[in-house]
Amino acid sequence: MIPLLAYIRICTGRNRGFRLWIPLFLAWLLLAPLVFLLVPLFLVVCMVGEVDSWQALSTFWQMLVGLKNTYIEVAHQETSILIHTF
Amino acid sequence: MNENRMQVLQMLAAGQITAEEAERLIAALENGGSAGVPDAGAETTPKARPKYLRVLVEAEELGNAHGPTKVNVRVPMQLLRAGVKLANLIPAQARDKVNVALREQGVQFELNQIKPENLEEIIDQIGDLIVDVDDKNAKVKVFCE
Repeated sequence: MIPLLAYIRICTGRNRGFRLWIPLFLAWLLLAPLVFLLVPLFLVVCMVGEVDSWQALSTFWQMLVGLKNTYIEVAHQETSILIHTF
Repeated sequence: MNENRMQVLQMLAAGQITAEEAERLIAALENGGSAGVPDAGAETTPKARPKYLRVLVEAEELGNAHGPTKVNVRVPMQLLRAGVKLANLIPAQARDKVNVALREQGVQFELNQIKPENLEEIIDQIGDLIVDVDDKNAKVKVFCE
């Protein structure tokens, strides 16, 4: 299952910071038509690069699926960044 | 060779059990499965495969009053697998260039050697691995969960 939600939190200084829930499922829905438009270009690029297009597509899909439950948190001094996908 | 015995040997080869444990299990299998098995089932049941790679870093900077720099990363193994597959997608010409550049830097490693099967083996073995670096100013911990 691909990630459907992402949570981003950026805190700087003493303020509460910036928190954002991103509904990725909406982004995927919006991007789906674009993907279909880009498929011919993708196939051409694969042919030029002598890359197995099916394998490339499968790998990109696996990367997308693999992004689910990724958690990255970095804090330095008073700044912290958190990215979490669900 | 029956299936159970093969499984025991595979676990031995994978380092999940010791030679003594394998011997006891095989003996138990020969004796009908129950005699002389000291809780071996619980001990030798294959563990669940790790799902995430965790990296925790805590670095203290001298003269920094705001606390340490912290990094907490959890990467799904599936993403690592896909990353390895991505390396296989690099066109042959580009791969050769990368290999040459690596050799020039003294790294005797070829991208062609990275295969998803190798990663599976690493993931199988990495479950028990914990890298724990405890320095005066920094702590680094890498493990799987």
